[in-house]
Amino acid sequence: MTTRAEFLSRIRTEVGKTPGLFPAGTAQRPSDLRAVTETIKRELAERWPHALERFQLEFERVAGVFHRAASLVAVPQVVAGIARERAVRRLVAWHARELGGDLLDSLAARGLEPFAMPPGDLDSAAERAELRRRVADAELGLTGVDLAIAETGTLVLRSGAGRPRSTSLLPACHIAVFDRTALIESLGQAGVFLELWNRGAHEDGVGAVTSFITGPSRTADIELTLTRGVHGPKEVHAIFVDQVIRG
Amino acid sequence: MSDTDLSVPFRQRAGSALGDKHLQEALTIATTKFIGLRREAFGEFPEGERLRDMAREIKEATLQHLDRYVDQLIDSVERLGGHVHYATTPEEARRVVLDIAARTGARLAVKSKSMASEEIHLNEALEAAGVIPIETDLGEYIIQLAHERPSHIIAPAIHKTKGQVADLFAKELGRQVAADPEELTRIARVELRQKFLDADLGITGANFAVADSGTVVLVTNEGNGRMVTSLPRVHVAVMGVEKVVPSMTDLMVFLQILAKSATGQKLSVYTTLVRGPRRAGELEGPDEFHLVLLDNGRIRQIAGPLREALYCLRCGACLNVCPVYRQIGGHAYGYTYPGPIGILLTAMLEGPGSVKDLAHASSLCGACADACPVRIDIPRMLVELRREVDEARIASWTERLAYRLMETILASPTLYRWSKPLARLLQRPFARDGRIRSVPLAFGEWTRTRDLPAVARQTFQERWPELQNPTATPGSSTATGEPCDRSRLAPESGHPRPKPDSRHPLQ
Repeated sequence: MTTRAEFLSRIRTEVGKTPGLFPAGTAQRPSDLRAVTETIKRELAERWPHALERFQLEFERVAGVFHRAASLVAVPQVVAGIARERAVRRLVAWHARELGGDLLDSLAARGLEPFAMPPGDLDSAAERAELRRRVADAELGLTGVDLAIAETGTLVLRSGAGRPRSTSLLPACHIAVFDRTALIESLGQAGVFLELWNRGAHEDGVGAVTSFITGPSRTADIELTLTRGVHGPKEVHAIFVDQVIRG
Repeated sequence: MSDTDLSVPFRQRAGSALGDKHLQEALTIATTKFIGLRREAFGEFPEGERLRDMAREIKEATLQHLDRYVDQLIDSVERLGGHVHYATTPEEARRVVLDIAARTGARLAVKSKSMASEEIHLNEALEAAGVIPIETDLGEYIIQLAHERPSHIIAPAIHKTKGQVADLFAKELGRQVAADPEELTRIARVELRQKFLDADLGITGANFAVADSGTVVLVTNEGNGRMVTSLPRVHVAVMGVEKVVPSMTDLMVFLQILAKSATGQKLSVYTTLVRGPRRAGELEGPDEFHLVLLDNGRIRQIAGPLREALYCLRCGACLNVCPVYRQIGGHAYGYTYPGPIGILLTAMLEGPGSVKDLAHASSLCGACADACPVRIDIPRMLVELRREVDEARIASWTERLAYRLMETILASPTLYRWSKPLARLLQRPFARDGRIRSVPLAFGEWTRTRDLPAVARQTFQERWPELQNPTATPGSSTATGEPCDRSRLAPESGHPRPKPDSRHPLQ
C-alpha cells in the first residue's frame, strides 16, 4: 500500500521538475473575514428589498415557489395552504430552536401531523432508525435557511444538532423559512461566509454538511426530458418572513 | 459488465456508430441542446470570461504547489476525523475500498455518479467481493441495468431511448412499464429510495476538495449525492489527486462556471459540501469518512506533456462541440473518458499506446478549447500526442515514413523546390479536379476516409512575381477572383505597406 510519505514525495518530485507553464494565481481571500461579512450584512440591511426581488426571480426560474408572510406566526397558515392543495398532512420540521420558533401546535391546529426533530443526537440506533422511518414517511419537510443567494435563487442549509440533513431531502416537498438576515447577493459573498464558518474554532452543534439547494431535484437523463423530484424533493417552497425571525 | 470491445479497431467502432441511425439522432439532439444552453448561460453572464481566466490560473497555481495543497487537505480531513488513503494504481484503489467494505461488513453500496470510480472499474470488483453496487444517478442506473458504460460524462445514457429504458426497467422489475420519462423517473425514485435507506456504504467521487478546510464537494442535480453522503453509515469518496483547490474562495470561482458549462444552469441543483463524518449532536451522516486519493498516471503528468489536462473539471462541454464526438458518441472511443479531453485522459491513464488511433480522432478545429471553462488547449496536446505516438514508434510504419519524408523535405529548400515538380509528376495518374481520391499501397489508409488536395499547378511562391503586379497580366488574380491586397492581411498593424523589393518573400 502506498503511504502518505511516498505519495507526497512523488508529487513533490514532479512539482520540482517544472516551474509551471502558464500564469498562475489563487483567488484573493479577504484577510478580515468577520469585517467583510459584517460589511455585507450592513449593506444588505439597506439593499435587501432589491436582493429579495432578484432572489424571487431566480428562485422561480428554477421552479421554486415563493411565498411571503408578515411574521413567523403567519407561517403555519402558508404551510397549511401548501399541504391542503396537495392533500398531505405528515410534516417533519427542524427543532424549534433552529427554526426560530415553535410552530407545532399552530400547524396541528390547522390539521397537519407535525413532528419536530430532536434538539440533538438520539441515544440508540433503534431510536435513530425509528426517526428515519418517520422522516422517510413524511410528505413535507420544514426547515430554516442560513443563506439565501439572490444571484442564483439558492438556499444554503447547514446540517447540525436539531437540523438533520434529511428534513430537506427525503420528503417530496421541502418548505424553507427565511428572513432578510439570510439574504445575500452573490456566490462570491457566499464564499466569504463559508470561509468564516470553516475558520473559527469548532462550534458545538455544527454539522458536517453544508447544502446549496437551487430548486427542486431534477434530471434529464431520459431523452433529455426534464423531470423533477427524482431523488430529492419534487417541490421547493421558500417562505420569506418580513419581520426578522430572531428579532 | 460488457466493455466496448477494444480488439475491434477504432475505425470499425466509429464506423458502426456512424451506421447507427438512432445514435446519430440522439447525439445531434443532445449535443445541440447542450451547446445552446451553455451559450445562453454565458451570454447573460458578462463576468464569465474573467472567471474562466481566474479558474485557469487557480488550477495552474494549485498544480505548482500540489504537494503542499494535498498535504494540507490530508491534515484537514484527518483533523475532522476522516481517513485518507493513497492509491497509485486502480488495483490499489479497489483494494482500499474493498478493505473498507469488508471491515465494516458492508453488503449494499449506493454510488453517486463518479468518473473516478468508473475509471478504476470499482463496480466489478465490489460485485466479485459480494457487495452489491447500485448506481443512483438515473442515467448511470439505466446503463448499469443495461451493462454498459457511460457514453457522455454528464449525460451517461443519452444513447438510450425511453422505449429502451422502459424495457430495461420492465426486465428488472418483472412487470410492464410505460415508456414515459415522467413515469420512469418516478419508478426509479421508488426503487432507489429503498436502496438509499438500506445501504451500508455510500461511494462518491469529488468534483473538488478544498485543502484548507478538508471539504469534499459534490455537484448533482438529482440529490443522490446528498443521499449517499447522509444515509449510509460509511462514506468513501474516490478522487483524482488533481481535484484539490486551495480555499472556499477559489471554489466559488469554479462553481460559478461549472454548471453553466455543463448544462447551462447557473448552479446545479445541489452543491454538497462534506466535511468528514457526522459530528457530535448530528442525527445523521456516516460514522466513518474515507477519502481515497488516486494517482493512476496523474502525478507523472504534473511535469509531463499532458499537464494542462489536469485542469479538467469534467463538465463535458468539449464533447458537445466536438465534430468527431457528435458523430461517433462516447462508446466508440472505447475508454472511460470520451471526447477530446477523453483522448488526453486516456493517454494519461493508459499510456500513449492506447491512443494510437484516438490521437487522430480530432479535426483540431479548436472548438473544444473555446468551450472549455478553463481553456485547456486540447488541440495542442493532441498534436503533441501524435508526435509522441510517432516518435515512440507506436504509430504504423506508413504513418511514420510519411512524417519522416515530410520532415526531410520541408527542412531543405532544395529538396522542397524539387519535390514540387516530382509530386506533380507522381500524382498525375491519381489527381482529378484538384483532388486525389485514393493513393496506392499502404498509404491508401489516408485517403480511405478523405481526399488529399492535389499539388497545385503553380505554387504561391511561383506565382508571387505576377501577384506583385496584378494588373500586368490578365488571369493572374487569386482563386476568389480578388487581387491579393497585403494590407488586408494585417489591417490592424498600422505599418506602411512594405515596398516590393527584389528579395524572395519567403526567404
